[in-house]
This record gives sequence, structure tokens and C-alpha cells, in this order.
Amino acid sequence: MILKEVKSNRLGDKYFCVEHASGLRVFVYPKRGHSSTYAIIGTKYGSINTSFKPCGENDVVQVPDGIAHYLEHKLFESEDGDAFSKYAKTGASANAYTSFDMTCYLFSCTEKFEESLKILLELVQSPYFTPENVEKERGIIGQEIRMYDDDPSWRVMFNLLGAMYHKHPVKVDIAGTVESITKITPENLYKCYKNFYNPSNMVLCVAGNVDAERVFELVDDLVKPNDGKVPECIFPEEPYNVVTDRVEQHFEIAMPTFQLGFKENAGKDPLTEEQLVQTDIILQALASKSSRLYKRLLDESLINDSFGYEYFEGRGYAAVIFSGESKDPDKTAKIIKEAVDELHKNGVDKEDFERAKKLVYGRNVAMLNSAENIANEMMKLSFAGRELFHAVECIANTTLDQVNDRLKHQLDNKNSSLSVVLPMPSKKGR
Amino acid sequence: MQSKFSRLEIAPGVSFNAIKDDRFKTGRISVTMFLPLERETAAVFAVLPFVLTNSCCKYSDFTSLNRHLEELYGASLFADVNKMGEMQALTVAVSFLDDKFTLDGENLSRSLTQLLCDILFDPLLTEAGAFKEENVEQEKRQLIELIDSEYSDKKAFAKSRCEQIMCQDEKFGISKWGEKKEVAALLPKDIVKAWQTALKTAKIEIMALGDLDEKSALAGFKEAFSKIKRENVAKFETQVIRKAEKVKAQCEKQDVAQCKLVMGFRTGAAQTDPEVMAVRVAVALFGATPQSKLFLNVREKLSLCYYCAAKYDRIKGIMLVQSGVEQKNLDKARAGILNQLDEIKNGNFTDAELDDTKRSLANSYRTIGDFLSGLENFYLSQVFDGEFLAPEQFIEAMEKVKKEQVAAAAKLITLDTVYALVGSEEVAK
Repeated sequence: MILKEVKSNRLGDKYFCVEHASGLRVFVYPKRGHSSTYAIIGTKYGSINTSFKPCGENDVVQVPDGIAHYLEHKLFESEDGDAFSKYAKTGASANAYTSFDMTCYLFSCTEKFEESLKILLELVQSPYFTPENVEKERGIIGQEIRMYDDDPSWRVMFNLLGAMYHKHPVKVDIAGTVESITKITPENLYKCYKNFYNPSNMVLCVAGNVDAERVFELVDDLVKPNDGKVPECIFPEEPYNVVTDRVEQHFEIAMPTFQLGFKENAGKDPLTEEQLVQTDIILQALASKSSRLYKRLLDESLINDSFGYEYFEGRGYAAVIFSGESKDPDKTAKIIKEAVDELHKNGVDKEDFERAKKLVYGRNVAMLNSAENIANEMMKLSFAGRELFHAVECIANTTLDQVNDRLKHQLDNKNSSLSVVLPMPSKKGR
Repeated sequence: MQSKFSRLEIAPGVSFNAIKDDRFKTGRISVTMFLPLERETAAVFAVLPFVLTNSCCKYSDFTSLNRHLEELYGASLFADVNKMGEMQALTVAVSFLDDKFTLDGENLSRSLTQLLCDILFDPLLTEAGAFKEENVEQEKRQLIELIDSEYSDKKAFAKSRCEQIMCQDEKFGISKWGEKKEVAALLPKDIVKAWQTALKTAKIEIMALGDLDEKSALAGFKEAFSKIKRENVAKFETQVIRKAEKVKAQCEKQDVAQCKLVMGFRTGAAQTDPEVMAVRVAVALFGATPQSKLFLNVREKLSLCYYCAAKYDRIKGIMLVQSGVEQKNLDKARAGILNQLDEIKNGNFTDAELDDTKRSLANSYRTIGDFLSGLENFYLSQVFDGEFLAPEQFIEAMEKVKKEQVAAAAKLITLDTVYALVGSEEVAK
């Protein structure tokens, strides 16, 4: 094991990383004076990985929607009891989550760190699925899905993804549907587990009050070696154009909400830190609170503090998404598109660029306040082949020309979808 | 360096609290004004912090103010309204990059302290001495939309309905935002009056957190408050009903896929009562951890729900249990929840379960210091207690709680209100 130290003079921080013999990548970011330690282990496997060629096989397997998330729930149980009851003995606060392209397990503790880390590493290495325990989970996850069915902000996002994507599984709800999870069995859970929970497909990040050497020693003791194979994931060919430019759903709400997505070419390779920073600066220059666009939307009483924007990207998908509550989502979308037109015509203004750059830099450094953010971010970056300090450093080095070049490939007004959630037609407001 | 807490009264009823800590990448300064929550004034006070953050004399329009903030490395300016017992808490705050990390060595904490003072004490007023109509209308609209958006969040909506029904004859039942029609009727001159009243009479807590120049912040606020005639400073008042007389039940229909169940309890102990720590432990054991009775039984054993959790409001002396279940399982869930509470009342829990609960609580207390927001909320929640305890002192008191005290504390808890938000019949099928 070769221990690498990565330092940032600008931030006065450093972390250590190692690639363990098992293939597991380990990152440790000590934070001076911290009481708590946050640890997270993740596999590059999420809701979009439903179609794959299992290791050593030639036929493509299709598994039910929502299985990665179901697997996350079930991994908390092992033959000798559930992980929560083990964490109860160390006082650690534990959790897990599944996203489009990752499944992560985490804990935060202030004592008995080594015992807690042992529980975490065992948790992801000891699957135990029986017909009974898989059945029991169906009621719980069914209610989790129903809870999201009542959440307009969740629905407006998946309606948007459905409006933008023809085939890519990113359009499918992370937890699946009440119907799709009926097809989940111990057998297909084991199949997914064996293929994706391979240390060479996983990353461990620890931040806070921690001694890096001890983490590496524990990993060496507890992570089993393996053949290092990772299955090939199959993604359907996704056309450039959106499916439809508008989609709507009605809920018993008083305030409409919207998401406006600009779909773009995802390309074959993951984006670089530089490209992401350029996009971030473009979006801030276009729509931050000091922008002309924001001012116009406010003057027309079209947005409130819930207005926001993000760059949504992963394997095979990329889009700029604006979101918020608005009394008139269609008019809001029209004004955003006019501002986009103007931006393409004139490019990013020099003064706006300088201001946006400072904003992006400040927010990125502020993100490193908490051990939790650091570890989560390092995990995401590592799966995408990016590096934390480089991501901060390249903000300071970004130029206006780079930003304007990048803009040419983004925010295509002819390739957008608007998703709106509106109050029930019969009853308006309360 | 561990954080150091210090506190100084700089004007009658105005305290400057510094939490000095050099471990963070950011600093934060907040000013919270506590006023009694009253039906007549809830709306005007609720809109005040929002109007103030949009009416600075020096940066007189929204765009120039935000340009200034963005140039200061994306510093944030916040306005917020909360309810603490039967007090309305109006907060205006700034958070900003620590000076050590600026690209050109700027002193951000000084600029932002100045901005916060400008916002509080030097708003843009018309010749007639009122806030500008367009700024007021802008913030009124947004506050009304905030009220509407709570209606969209069915979990939050059900929780606040349960509180309203449970406390309909208490001030706690008043919305922290006020009512929509009251917000709509507000005039610029009403808000100016509310601003003057708040500066004169609110109990005010200033918090300065991080590795910042707290001496100059302190001097800035001291100077600003020296020009205000402080009088009739608001006193902390919160009615505590220690026992529910009879159970209120209310069921409301909406087009929801999942039924939201909220049960409101009176906890008997509140504020600085000696039993409070035992109630905290009892509530955690009952439903605040993944090892709790509710999680293990109502979720894991009965498989009835995804979430089922209890939360204790020490200042008001109430506990709320929230869950999302199928409508057909509503009675089963309610009975399951009450059964688990009875288990604790009857002492049917092991020493090991109690130890697990305490470990989990101790972990939360020890983690507070790793977050600026954690520290801020922790100290603000003690403002009305008469003394400030550090997290370690809470742990010490908690470790002393015995099994019998937990059962006895649970026996103080009585069911007051059962609220259910259910789907319309077609949906429920």
C-alpha cells in the first residue's frame, strides 16, 4: 500500500489516500480539533444500473427498478443481527442512501470509532437475504414510495426527467414503484450484490477526528481480497432531443412549482473539474441574485426564495435545471429562455464573470466546513475521477474565454422541457 | 482549539454572544429578536426581517445589495422566523468566508458586521418615514407564498395542523408566519412601527461565531444600540399545560396517496423542570433513534411505515409523534404507538436499551460543537433558562438519569390530540 498525501496550501488542509490491495480506494481527511468522525463507504451502483452483463457472463441481465435502493435497506441485516443494533453499542449515528449512480452507507461518531468502522465494513461485506426478511421490507419501502408520491418537489423532478429522457434509466424513480418492487427476491438481490459490491467498485472516505494510519490498518484487516471484476453496465442509446417540451401534474397544493431542464449531450467521458467550474460560473452569471434575470423575475412577481439552479450530470445524462415555485411557471420559463438567448448572443459579461467566480470560490471553500460534506464530496469526485483540491484550485484559474467557449455547448433553448405541478383544477388554493 | 463561549449584555435586554472557534472555513453573525407571539402582531413581525433584508439604505435595491454580497465571496444574508415556546423569534444573519481564505486578503467579517448593522438600524425609508411600498409588497407576496408552500408539504402541513388543534386556546397555536389575510393587509407604516417596537422592546441575542474580529463586531453593535431607547423588554412567557384532560381527534381529507398521522402529547415536564432530562431520555428511547421502540416495533416488526418518530419540545412541554401509513392501517399504527409508550411507562425496557439510548444522545451532544449552526441553535435554545450549560454538562446530567426516572417521566406523558390527514375515498381504495 502506498500512502499518498494530498495538500492544499490555499486551504491549509490535507488528506491521505491509498488504493488497497482489494481495490478499495480509501481517503482520510483529518480535521483538527473536531470531536466527531464521519465515515462513508459507497459503491458506484445506483438506480440507473438495472441492465448489466454479470462478471464472467455474456448475457445481459435486466433487474427490477428500485433494486439498488432495496438492497441498501436489506444490507443493514446480516446473519448475526442488524447493523443499527450494533451501532447502538458504539453510540454512532448511522444512515444510508441510494442515488442515481451510488449507494452509500455512513456513520458519525464521537467515541469507539474503530468499532463503528468495523461495523460499517462488515455491513457491506455480509449480505443476508431470506424470503422472510425481503418480504418484511416491502411494506416499509412501499410506504417510502407513497411518501414521495405526495411530495410535489419530488414528482416535478421525475416528471421533468421523463420529459427529457427517452430511454435513459435516470428517468425512473430511485426507489422504483410499488409494482416493480414486488419482483425483488433474495436471488436477484444476491445477483446485484455480488456484481456491484466489489471493493474495486467502492470508495471509503473518513473525515474529522481521525488517525489515517489506523484507518488503513483496519481496512487491511477487514476488507476481503477479491477478483476485482466489475460488471459492464448497459445503457440504451439516448437521442439528443427531449421527449416533450412540457409536462404537468395536479396536486392538492396552493402554490405551483416547476423545473425547467436544458438537456445536453452527455458525451462519453466524465466532465472535468474545469468544465464543471465553468458551468457553475455561467449559471451564477446568468441567474444569481445579482443578475438581470433574477431582477426581472422578481419584478414580475414570478419567483421567490425557492428559486434555484443546478447542473445535473452523470453517466449518459447532463442537463442544466432551473427550479422553484412560481405563480406562472410558463411565463417564468419564457423569461429564462429569453435571458439564455441574450447570453448566447453577448457571451458572459466580464464584470459578471469576476463576481460569479468569487461567489463560486467562496461557496466551494465554505462547503469544506463540515467533515460530512468533505467525505460525501470526496466520494462523488472519486467515482467521477475528479480531485477535491484541484476542483477548488481551478476556480481561481478559470478565464472568461474558457467560460464563453463552454457556453456554446450548453443551454440549448431548442432542447428544453418544462415540468409543472399545479393545484387541482377544481379547487384553487385553500 | 475548542470553541469558547462568552456573553456580555451591551444594552438592556441585548446580549452579545461570541463563540470563538478557528476550525471553520466560515464565520456567522446573527441577530435574533424575541417577541411575544400574539395573534394581532404575528404577521407584521413575521414580514419584518424579510423587509429589512430588502431595504438597506446603503445598497438601496435588491441587485446592488446582492452584487455587494457576491463580491464578498458569495456571503449570504438570511432572514428567518421561528417559534420558541410562545415567543416569535425574528432572525437576520450573515455568513461569510473566513478572512484566511480570501484571494486578496479582504477583511470580510468587518464588512459584513457593518452590513448587518446597516440592515437593522439604517433601512431605506421614504420621506414619510415608511418602508418603500414596492419592497413591502415584494416581501408580503413572498411570505404568502411561503405559507402556501407549507400547504404543499403534506408532512409539515399535518404537523402544524396537529399543533394548531392541540393548542387552539393557547398562543402556541398561532402560526409563526401569521395568517395570509393579515399579511396581505399590512401597510408600510405598520412595518415601520413593528421595526421600532422590535428594536426597543425585543429581547435580543447577537451571536458571533467563528474566527472573526468579534471585538469590532461587539463595538459596532454596542454603538448602534446606544442610540436606541430600550424599554419594556419582552419577557419570556409560555403557558405549559401539564396534562391532557381528554383526547381530541380530528381527521381531514385531501388528495394524498399516503395518510399522515400526527399525535400530540403533553409531557408534564417543561423548560427547567427537574424531570426534563428524564423526559428527553424517555422520548429518545420511545422514538428518536433507529434503536427506539417506535422504529423497532411500528416500522420494523409491524412493517407499517417508513417513518415513525417522536420529537420533544422542551420549551412548550409537548411531544409530537409523526408517521406516514396506509389509511387502512391507521388504527393499527395509532394503537402500536400507544402500546410502545405504555411499555416505557411500565418499565418494560432493559438496562442495555437505556444505555444505548444514552450513548446515542451523548453522541448528538458531543457533535454539536462541530457545526456553527449546531452551536448557535444550542446556545439560543437556552436563552430563557437563566443559565447556559455546555454540551458536556448536558451529558453529565443525562448519564445520571435512572431507569425508574425514565419510567416515571414517561408516566407524565398524556395523549392530547390525534390528527390524521387522509386521502379522499377514491384515492384510498
